[in-house]
Amino acid sequence: MLQLRDAAFAGISMTQQGDLSDRNPADVYWEVVQDALADAGLSLAEVDGLIGDAPPGVGLRSGLPGGAVADLVGHPLRFHAATSIGASGQSAGIGLAALAIAHGMASVVAIPTVAAGQVAGYAGADRNAAVAHMARLGSPYEYVWGTTRVADYAVIARRHMYEYGTTEEQLAEVAVAQRHGATLNPLSVNGRRGEITIDDVMGSRPIAEPLKLLDCCLVNQGAGCMVMTSAADAGAQARHHPVVLLGWGEGQSYLDPCSAPSLARFEGGRLAADTAFGIAGVGRDDIDVAGISDHSTINVIVELEASGFCAVGEGGRFVEGQATRIGGRLPVNTDGGFLSASHAGSCGVFTVIELVRQLRGEAGPRQVEGASLAYAHGVGGVSQVQYGAVLARA
Amino acid sequence: MTDYDKFTPEIPPLHEPFWAALREHRVVLQRCDRCGRFRFIPSELCTCGSAQYTWTPIAGTGEVYTYTVVHRAPTPAYQADAPYVIAHVTMDEGPRMISTLVGSDPAAVTIGMRVEIIFDDVTPDLTLYRFRPVETAPATVAQDD
Repeated sequence: MLQLRDAAFAGISMTQQGDLSDRNPADVYWEVVQDALADAGLSLAEVDGLIGDAPPGVGLRSGLPGGAVADLVGHPLRFHAATSIGASGQSAGIGLAALAIAHGMASVVAIPTVAAGQVAGYAGADRNAAVAHMARLGSPYEYVWGTTRVADYAVIARRHMYEYGTTEEQLAEVAVAQRHGATLNPLSVNGRRGEITIDDVMGSRPIAEPLKLLDCCLVNQGAGCMVMTSAADAGAQARHHPVVLLGWGEGQSYLDPCSAPSLARFEGGRLAADTAFGIAGVGRDDIDVAGISDHSTINVIVELEASGFCAVGEGGRFVEGQATRIGGRLPVNTDGGFLSASHAGSCGVFTVIELVRQLRGEAGPRQVEGASLAYAHGVGGVSQVQYGAVLARA
Repeated sequence: MTDYDKFTPEIPPLHEPFWAALREHRVVLQRCDRCGRFRFIPSELCTCGSAQYTWTPIAGTGEVYTYTVVHRAPTPAYQADAPYVIAHVTMDEGPRMISTLVGSDPAAVTIGMRVEIIFDDVTPDLTLYRFRPVETAPATVAQDD
């Protein structure tokens, strides 16, 4: 079987998350790419692969991002790919990058994301414009009624509560656990707002019932980048303890919410996780820390179930026992996650970056002691498509 | 001209018969000529693989599968209606459809509630379907427990 462990997360970088509306997005993109390369001990001259987009505004053929980056680095790239995991497009790209590296098709692959500048849509700093833009990402059979992204997840929460008895207090615990991590993360948006309690979440204003303001992810700008290389190359640099990708999988399960087999459980997520764990050759009980995409608090509960960390329907009770807090049985989104750290651009990149920090042992005051195996889970759209990944401290 | 300032649907040609029927206050869905299943939203292919279908009227009744009460709307035009209920309804013919649920206190909406489609002519060219609770007969005959 293919040994994905030949591919490593050699470099990571991220900007302060929040409002980057005064920055040029192309400049921010190039900054985080170079910072991630510097973190890996590499230079632009060594980049030969790209996942995702070119810097915004560089060239007018946006369908050829590899060409745009080749212009900038001064040599042709050997590899470009993009995934169709929606919002998790870049972070799910770690699997494709690892395949290319393991097969000798690329040696240094950059995986950047940026949301900055005065731009329209979800990458802008104008919250109202971003909310209106994201509302129209669904089909006309949704947006004409005034649905929103939060409403899309609220109907999942409502159905989950109905089928399994999940409570609003259990949802709130997800937000409380993650805010603590954010207070220990100086790059997070919400850390400076301090700790929150279950009562704070329950008392925050309703957005789309049963979800309240503190059940919802941020709308913010920011940028980050990962650089993947062969494990041998990463080890040779020895700037950080090497972190490798052990397993990766996808689950592409349905297109439209009207045709979803269920809005309470997600078979695609299970497929992604089973594939990733199967390739990795480790079990759920071996995982020390997880990054679970959290567009709202219900996401963490349904994705923990889909990933197999608890039975379907048990997610609420799993988090209620404070399992996902730092020091708990399975710390989740220790940086604060999309709820409290950042939800910028293809924000799954930040989920994986935090796991790399944890596995390096560089997570500072929020370090999970002895973290050696991590699991990342991300969704695209409104959970139609999902990916899972197992990372390891080499 | 119209002062309707909410989102209007971008309708591909395939979908036009559905919206044309709404203007006549009817609901028609594609029914597969091969397997007989209704499908929604409109699609070129049935999940059985057949591209042959007939636009077929449905009864317009179903039950709430899930719902939310929206307080934070996408634009000011929708915000003027907030709080409003968005419901996913399993129609009696099988497919789920999404719309606003009107004519009920949001706090009284429940999963499993019986609803029916009503029509809302929002512009001369655009009719929307909405859900409202099915009127239940007065409980005058309920003599025992």
